[in-house]
Amino acid sequence: MIWRFGLVDSTFDPLMTTHLALAATLALPLLLGLLALLFPPKRAWPVALASVPVLASGLVLLAAVEQVQLLRWQWEIVGVTVSLRLNGLSVLLLLMSQWIGFAAALYTPGHMRLTSVGPLGFWLWPLMGALISALSLIWLATDLLTLYIALELMGLAAVGMLLLSGKATALLAGMRYLLLALVGSLAYLLGVALILGHWGQLDLQGLAGVVEPGPVAWIAAALVGGGLALKAALFPLHGWLSPVHGNAWTPVSVLHAALVIKASLFILLQLWSILLPDTFYAPHVIAWLGMLAIVWGGLLAWRTDSLKTLVASSTVAQLGYLMVAFPLLLGPDIAQLPRALAWDGFWLQLIGHAFAKAAMFMAAGNLILATGESTLKGLAGSSRRLPLSLLVFGVASITLMGLPPSAGFTAKWLLLQAMVMSQQWWAVAALLIGTLLSAAYIFRVFRYSFDETAPRHHYQPLAPGMDLIALALAFIAIVLGLLAHFPLALMNGGGV
Amino acid sequence: MIASFDAIETLLAIGLTIAALACLFDRHLVRASCFFVVFAIAMTLAWWLLGAPWLAAAELLLGVVLTGLCFFYALGIFSPDASPALRRDELHEPWGRAVARLILALGWFVMVGAAIRYVIAEMVYSPTEHPLLLAGIVIIACALGAFALHRHLLRRLLAFNILGSGVFMLLAGLAGTTATAQALIVVGLCIAWLGSMLGALLIRQLVHLEGVEALGCDDEPKEKAT
Amino acid sequence: MNAAWLPLSTLATSLFVTVVILALPEEARKLRTYINLLAAVIKLVLVILMIRRVAAGHEDVFSFQVVGGVDFVLRADALGVMFAGLSSLLWLCTTIYAIGYLEDSVNRKRFFGFFSLCVASTLGIALADNLFTFLIFYEMLTLSTYPLVVHSGTAKALNAGKIYLRYTLTGGVVLLLGTVLLYSLTGEHSFSSEEGLGNYLNDHRGLLILIFALLVGGLAVKAAMVPLHGWLPRAMVAPAPVSALLHAVAVVKAGAFGILRVIYDLYGIELSVELGVTTVLAVAASITIIYGSLRALAQVELKPRLAFSTVSQVSYVILGVCLFGPFGTIGALAHLLHQGLMKVTLFFCAGNYAEELGIHRIDEMDGAGQRMPLTSLAFTIGAMGMIGLPPVAGFITKWYLGIGAIQADMYWVVAVLVASSTLNAMYFLPIVHRLWFRPGPSHGKGSWPSEQHLGRLETHGWLLWPMVFTAMASLGAGLLAGLPFSPLDWATRVAIGEYLP
Repeated sequence: MIWRFGLVDSTFDPLMTTHLALAATLALPLLLGLLALLFPPKRAWPVALASVPVLASGLVLLAAVEQVQLLRWQWEIVGVTVSLRLNGLSVLLLLMSQWIGFAAALYTPGHMRLTSVGPLGFWLWPLMGALISALSLIWLATDLLTLYIALELMGLAAVGMLLLSGKATALLAGMRYLLLALVGSLAYLLGVALILGHWGQLDLQGLAGVVEPGPVAWIAAALVGGGLALKAALFPLHGWLSPVHGNAWTPVSVLHAALVIKASLFILLQLWSILLPDTFYAPHVIAWLGMLAIVWGGLLAWRTDSLKTLVASSTVAQLGYLMVAFPLLLGPDIAQLPRALAWDGFWLQLIGHAFAKAAMFMAAGNLILATGESTLKGLAGSSRRLPLSLLVFGVASITLMGLPPSAGFTAKWLLLQAMVMSQQWWAVAALLIGTLLSAAYIFRVFRYSFDETAPRHHYQPLAPGMDLIALALAFIAIVLGLLAHFPLALMNGGGV
Repeated sequence: MIASFDAIETLLAIGLTIAALACLFDRHLVRASCFFVVFAIAMTLAWWLLGAPWLAAAELLLGVVLTGLCFFYALGIFSPDASPALRRDELHEPWGRAVARLILALGWFVMVGAAIRYVIAEMVYSPTEHPLLLAGIVIIACALGAFALHRHLLRRLLAFNILGSGVFMLLAGLAGTTATAQALIVVGLCIAWLGSMLGALLIRQLVHLEGVEALGCDDEPKEKAT
Repeated sequence: MNAAWLPLSTLATSLFVTVVILALPEEARKLRTYINLLAAVIKLVLVILMIRRVAAGHEDVFSFQVVGGVDFVLRADALGVMFAGLSSLLWLCTTIYAIGYLEDSVNRKRFFGFFSLCVASTLGIALADNLFTFLIFYEMLTLSTYPLVVHSGTAKALNAGKIYLRYTLTGGVVLLLGTVLLYSLTGEHSFSSEEGLGNYLNDHRGLLILIFALLVGGLAVKAAMVPLHGWLPRAMVAPAPVSALLHAVAVVKAGAFGILRVIYDLYGIELSVELGVTTVLAVAASITIIYGSLRALAQVELKPRLAFSTVSQVSYVILGVCLFGPFGTIGALAHLLHQGLMKVTLFFCAGNYAEELGIHRIDEMDGAGQRMPLTSLAFTIGAMGMIGLPPVAGFITKWYLGIGAIQADMYWVVAVLVASSTLNAMYFLPIVHRLWFRPGPSHGKGSWPSEQHLGRLETHGWLLWPMVFTAMASLGAGLLAGLPFSPLDWATRVAIGEYLP
């Protein structure tokens, strides 16, 4: 597991261009966000233009990783070591967050024009920039201090963004999220304190060498895991999720559901693979919770009347798929092949879900914006008036349901194969039931929207491109399913 | 290093604990905020005593001044027309639920205790030699209980800050005041201040929009981290 | 020489049309019609090209790797192009018919877009070379038919759509489980590989039976085998072209075709017989045949009667597969094609009656033969084929099935065939009788439910000519069965390939 995260020595020194690309990746989003605060963009094209260097830096890093598989950086600042690594997995996640962030940024000007943004509206830009920077740092960082800084920066930026809509319900939900996130990070910090106290270092690679299983590792893992699970909205700590999304702006929901939650999960898995290699109970508890999450999230989404709650609850269920894979990744007595399959399936599901959920939140936001109603019943007749938004919703939901051809399907296939090989029949059942449940709640949306007998009401026209951006994201999720070979090869290139 | 200042340290530890308890369980919120400032000053002293002057400075600036200001701002001290109703909190909690939450907090307490047992084994035999560490554990347990118990947003925010300080104290106790530990604590202080500021802004905005009652209605039962 | 572009471009034609149609505005009626027809013709030409190459002994393969150990493979083999030929021929007919049928109705863009996607999925099913690829298109078919089933947007249609999804998605999940189990056991297994799964027989007999049950159980939902047929009659609320396509070609045949693939190309017929699963399947198919016919007899509306007739007829294919011997296979494969042609004719007729005269119930059909002679003639041909009377194509298949049953020493199958034919006659002949021999509104007795004069002839030309063509084709397939490239000839070729490797 350790080498999969790239926590080994690199044989190559990064080139100058790679250094520059790294600096651009980490700093540019934040700087651009601040720039946008001073000169708020009114159209999409300045945003697109400004994002080019960020995306280019991601591509430079991708090229670097394709050449040498693993790069490491290490600095010593007043006695504190900061270390970064770049391998196939982290560059994939980096590209994911850059492109989804790019899509959300492109979407924002149109959204701002059509909704009444308050005076706080333009704070969205710097927060968005800070979020992307923090996310990039999370994918790269390999010491607990840097991870802590990045995690908190991301968390605060996310809370700030969610509050911007300024409605009382949003504020209340945001306040609860803030408090829980802060307490979550304290739990994380306490876990880090234990690690630092016992082993005297925070560098993940060094820790991987010295950690031995025992009560300290277990308690530290529990503390870190609890804190991160709270931030990642893993069942049963997901209660804050739907209220927070209920009133947030669409681009904010997109970033939050697609990326922020995933970052905590990424750290969780990375730390547990160091602290709890080959333990039985912890991953299995997570897996059992994951099964409950699949069913419970599915039922929540199925019973709800609000479109945004439906999309948000589906996140809870989708995270369940990832949780179910934990025993395959961390558990003992898993053969080489199923573990590799589960590893591939896990990240493919995570990335596919990020793109699909981003597209789906955009589509849902478009539908709500155009119909002016946020309930499912308000969608009646929208299939004729808003075919494109609905099509995006449909294409994105293919991935969420895990039906072919999509990243969700390929990931589910890999996970199922791994589960069958390691004979985890409960997990197989959970995945299959999850498919049916997700189909049940997705098709409720279509059932309402295909209704032709409903009375017509006024539809607000959408800005051009708002649907197309979402469609592009949804198609990426589809294509990732068919061409899964390429990202997975990149991800596994650093190993062995 | 710690053992040489026994008497002062013990006094400080007791002072810290009392200030924390007063801050957490005083229903008069302005007074509770004052107690928080006292607590933060005690924390500054503690950092000084532990040989971390930079940390003490950070605590003084971030903890005492800035975070303290946040609370008073949230209470509307600086705006003349703020209603006094904001400044008191009555607990309308059914006792069964409160007890359940307290038990949860005690569970945490036990777990942290167990961790200490393995990390600093000698402490089990002479607990009084580490009064600040002991205070940290007690403060965490109390703050956690208070965080679970209270529904009033400001009180939860206070509880979070006390909890944070307890965690920092524990961190320093477990890992010593190395550069890395200090870096972690400073980052933690910054986060706590930013979080408190955000929270204070939110509370003001909520009071502005919905009135004072909105602060107490965060009553959906939520499970906590662990 | 491998022409990898051929299967790919055939598939891409329909997919591309889907994208173009969905991108065009709703008002671009003419352009959409041209594109639709052009694509249908191009695709037919490509499929004919593919059939010729297969006849010449080439097998064109297109493949790429999806993940390690799993590939996406399209292969033009004899069985595949047979199904592909059927679907592209009937797509052309149905597209023409649908253009006429949906004139002046709403949401045509959505209809034609998903219609194309549906056909693309069918083609993918036909050309899929392994279970993974098959599964992709099988599920795509499920999703792309949903908008067609609920097209009218009424509460009844939406409910039918819900039930349709409930059945098919559950079936899909069962199929997925079976597929994953199989991949875990054997790795990737191409349909074209010579060896079946016989190597695993000794160690994994139980598992093989379980996988077979899962695969066939999942496929049987779409093939509408009793008791998994519940969605089919309800899906009749869809517009007539959809019913024609769904029930003649796409959905039910996809299920039957999948079962063919599993038995012939995945397990191998010998292994299936060895496992004893074919007998069970034959019994299930027989039950379906009789049950479907009995239920058809009880219907008073035309389309549900045809739907139950489909339930019954599709199981002939499965019954034929289960008869261990070349004649059963030939009967099954030929029936796949023949039933498609005949059933599409019947649904076209039902649509014409409904459009022109407003007829939905059987007792309203008295004397319609005089008002709509061509339609009624086509209906008569289709009905005779369903009963199995010569010289229509249906006779050939029943004949081959009968011989196959006798060869396989399964005499009870003959009894089933006889009983079913009798039942077929009992529910089709009264309709034919009403059409031609009962006095009705055109003889001055009563009036049609809602009569329209859609065209110069008995109805709109777009509705009439596809129906005439398919009726002639059903007749021709029976009369000219001995010619090369007739359905029977091709079925024989496939069967010989199966039994004499």
